[in-house]
Amino acid sequence: MKNSFDEKILEEANDWIKANQKVVLATVIQTWGSSPRQVGSRMIVNEKGDFSGSVSGGCVESAVVRECIGIIKDNKPFKKIEFKVSNESAWEVGLACGGEIAVYLEQIN
Amino acid sequence: MKKQLLDQIIKNKENKSEFAIITNISNGESCIYEKNKPIDKNFEKYLEQIKNYFEKKKNGVIENTDIFVETYIRPIKVIIVGAVHIAQYLVDYAKSLNFEICIIDPRGYFATEQRFPDLKIINKWPEEAFKEIETNENSALIALTHDPKIDDPALQHALKNKFYYIGALGSKNTHENRCQRLKDAGFSETEINSIHGPIGIKLGGKSAPEIALSIIAQLVAETYKK
Repeated sequence: MKNSFDEKILEEANDWIKANQKVVLATVIQTWGSSPRQVGSRMIVNEKGDFSGSVSGGCVESAVVRECIGIIKDNKPFKKIEFKVSNESAWEVGLACGGEIAVYLEQIN
Repeated sequence: MKKQLLDQIIKNKENKSEFAIITNISNGESCIYEKNKPIDKNFEKYLEQIKNYFEKKKNGVIENTDIFVETYIRPIKVIIVGAVHIAQYLVDYAKSLNFEICIIDPRGYFATEQRFPDLKIINKWPEEAFKEIETNENSALIALTHDPKIDDPALQHALKNKFYYIGALGSKNTHENRCQRLKDAGFSETEINSIHGPIGIKLGGKSAPEIALSIIAQLVAETYKK
């Protein structure tokens, strides 16, 4: 069972902000089929590409980090990305489990 | 997400006050939902659906909308009556499954800190012990003493407070006698039948860790049925 109160990723995001880092919050908002992490799973990414937490079992984290750096550079407030087996990038980062996930990225400002 | 909102979320988490983070994924707006408090006017038209997700402790995007709901609900409270051998294994399972655990046993020699480190133990009779614990329909009871003097008052409290899971250890005979006593005490058949007795799903094992596993498996299954 999930215990959201014990997860400290948002507190960590706050610490990063206090240290003057730009932070993007990535949250799993939808899953289809078998997916490694449940809805609500989170990771945070800063402008350098440092990250904490996870949105999959390591399958798509590198792509999420790239997207997060992208929205910081472009100064976009938010973005929704999906990872499917049928994606063009499947060879690179697709979910080996055959699942699909949607991840919502948002800058904290 | 605005930094101000993040601060509010962290504050609510510290206070362990239940809430949900609501995000409109099509325009990036977000707010906090708390029961019985007014919601940000931009989300007013989704209030009923948000409430529904919150009550069901669901996380996800509300159907046919762009509204994402993430609930922060306190862990389920599991009260174990009887600091017996099985309880020691139950505690290990329940901890890793994120249940909040509390043990009641008036017999001081059973419920010692040495046997149950880092755990809330109440060395009192159930009637007294339940005065110290807040319980509701989100609570579960596992009665393990099979001593009517200790188990029965706890079962009665759990029935009256509509615990979503109530289980009691003991053979079929023990359980039949228990049901009769509850009937005599004025509980209805439906109430009595809601008690899982003999407790646990059938795994076939007889050792203490195996019985604990069968109990915790039943508890998890009932939790997801809620």
